[in-house]
Amino acid sequence: MKKHIFLICVLALFTVSAMAQVERNMGIIKSSLIGLEYEVKAGFNIGGTSPLPLPREIRSIDGYKPTLCVAIEGDVTKWFGVERKWGMTLGFRVENKGMETKATVKNYSMEIIGSGGEKLKGNWTGGVQTKVRNAYLSIPVLASYKLSKRVNISAGPYVSFMPNGDFSGYVYDGYLREINPTGTKVEFQGDNRASYDFSDNLRTFQWGVQAGVSWRAFNHLNVHADLTWGLNDMFEKDFDTITFAMYPIYLNVGFGYAF
Amino acid sequence: MNSLKGKNMKIRNLIGLLFSVFLFSCIQSEAPNAEADILTCTVPDDILKAEPEIENESVTLIVKSDADITNLAPVFTLTPGATINPASGTAFDFTTPHTYTVTSEDKNWTKNYNVRCIVSGISTEYHFETVSLEPKYERYQVFYDISSSGDVVNWGSANSVYVLTNVANKMTDFPTSQADNGYEGKCAKLVTCSTGSLGSLVGMYIAAGNLFIGTFDSGSALTNPLKSTRFGKPFEHIPTYLSGYYKYQPGKEYTSKGQVVPGKTDQGDIYAIFYETDDNVRYLDGTNALTSPNLIYVARISDLKPTDEWTHFYIPFVPRPGKFVDKEKLKNGGYQLAVVFSSSIRGDYFEGAVGSTLYVDEVEVIHSDNE
Repeated sequence: MKKHIFLICVLALFTVSAMAQVERNMGIIKSSLIGLEYEVKAGFNIGGTSPLPLPREIRSIDGYKPTLCVAIEGDVTKWFGVERKWGMTLGFRVENKGMETKATVKNYSMEIIGSGGEKLKGNWTGGVQTKVRNAYLSIPVLASYKLSKRVNISAGPYVSFMPNGDFSGYVYDGYLREINPTGTKVEFQGDNRASYDFSDNLRTFQWGVQAGVSWRAFNHLNVHADLTWGLNDMFEKDFDTITFAMYPIYLNVGFGYAF
Repeated sequence: MNSLKGKNMKIRNLIGLLFSVFLFSCIQSEAPNAEADILTCTVPDDILKAEPEIENESVTLIVKSDADITNLAPVFTLTPGATINPASGTAFDFTTPHTYTVTSEDKNWTKNYNVRCIVSGISTEYHFETVSLEPKYERYQVFYDISSSGDVVNWGSANSVYVLTNVANKMTDFPTSQADNGYEGKCAKLVTCSTGSLGSLVGMYIAAGNLFIGTFDSGSALTNPLKSTRFGKPFEHIPTYLSGYYKYQPGKEYTSKGQVVPGKTDQGDIYAIFYETDDNVRYLDGTNALTSPNLIYVARISDLKPTDEWTHFYIPFVPRPGKFVDKEKLKNGGYQLAVVFSSSIRGDYFEGAVGSTLYVDEVEVIHSDNE
């Protein structure tokens, strides 16, 4: 008796799950029939926020650390036409972009505004350490092309909103000339560090272009590499402390599950 | 899954390496130098009484009273690539000062230096009636005296570095300034000031008001503040007493390195030192002004009590044991004197109270020739 009940329960379970499976499969088959593809992606962001071209004041990059930046994305692609060669992808990505660098600069003109409104203008020669860590909600809108059965390429613009960002660091091992290169020289050596924090001057809205390639490794499992290139300055318009524009350029590599 | 993560790590590091190589290869060629400094000034050794004083816009040569400066050709070294006009090594009559213009390597910047010779040492009576303004930007005052040979001799203070904090709105907001209502005429006012948010970025929360005979080296002020106050100028008499008038009130809250220290009261300081120079010791500074083995005489106030009334002090110069003065060396400028005032006795360690104020006036160095 017990054995019978047990068997019936198992059979019932199988039937229920089989039906659900059929329902879900039906959903996917329907989507596939109208050319819709969904993908969930996870990856790492590696890259940096850099001025382009590197201004002459930067004499050397003395250190670079990518830091751990994760990107999680959900994409939907609509494939067009009978052959399904071209498509359009809309994505929603939650990601971190960040880096840590050390550089040596020469005669770099800057103005620091203290929290009490105090202004110090001058030319810095010496070491600059920078740490960037920004969180973004990004929406890429891409044109996709099926290069082959396994390989897709995509390109297009993206917009990003930055709910919180950190751009800070310190200067070390160098000297400041007050006001201009002929001003009073004040040295800063040894273990001394003067820290700065420009996080409040970062732009909340950024946009750029993205181009990438995706390779179907296994059934449903893709490996991708997307290069995102920011096209507007990371800092607000009237921020003069950093005199050149900084652009986020990152490569997103990871894997995704397509269904 | 683990191997995939490991693969991702390796890929991440490889891409990181490629990125830094990419950035590195984009480094542009170095721009020519923009600075226009005189780095050293050399004149024949036998005419100098002390090291040439090179400041951002002036060079002062303290020469012996019998030196012939009517045909002097100072030789300068400059920021690499810079040029100087008139040319280095040109002979001039330095009984009057001469202006040299230095042009930077990139030709965008020029700086004028006032090069002068001053003959005798410092005066011994200080009334604090005369101040000049910071060259060019005129944001703060510089006390000076006229020596017996008519040369302008400046007092040293930390104003040239305090100005970087951009806290002061007017000249009297600086740690060192001139005030009315002196014991006679005007007087010197020394106030311990906050360095604001910029000062806290470098961990130097307060700036004591200081005034001293000597020069202030702004270059080392942030890296090694004790070494930036260079005390002393050549002095040809043997000092016996330091006399003068002061008023002092400590500030309300004593802080050490930005942290409040409850219950501690700030104290001012007045002292004078007379020391010998040699090949290794060209001047004394904040690290050794009261401890150097080169000290011969030291006068230091022992009870700088807070008071709002002008109070007279008369302090003897106490000899250090076993030290004596060589008359020949004295005549040749081998000894130096410094008089030092500060509104916070531990100000060079960034300990003190904002608002501590020391007024001094009618100070005199009484020396053996007076008696």
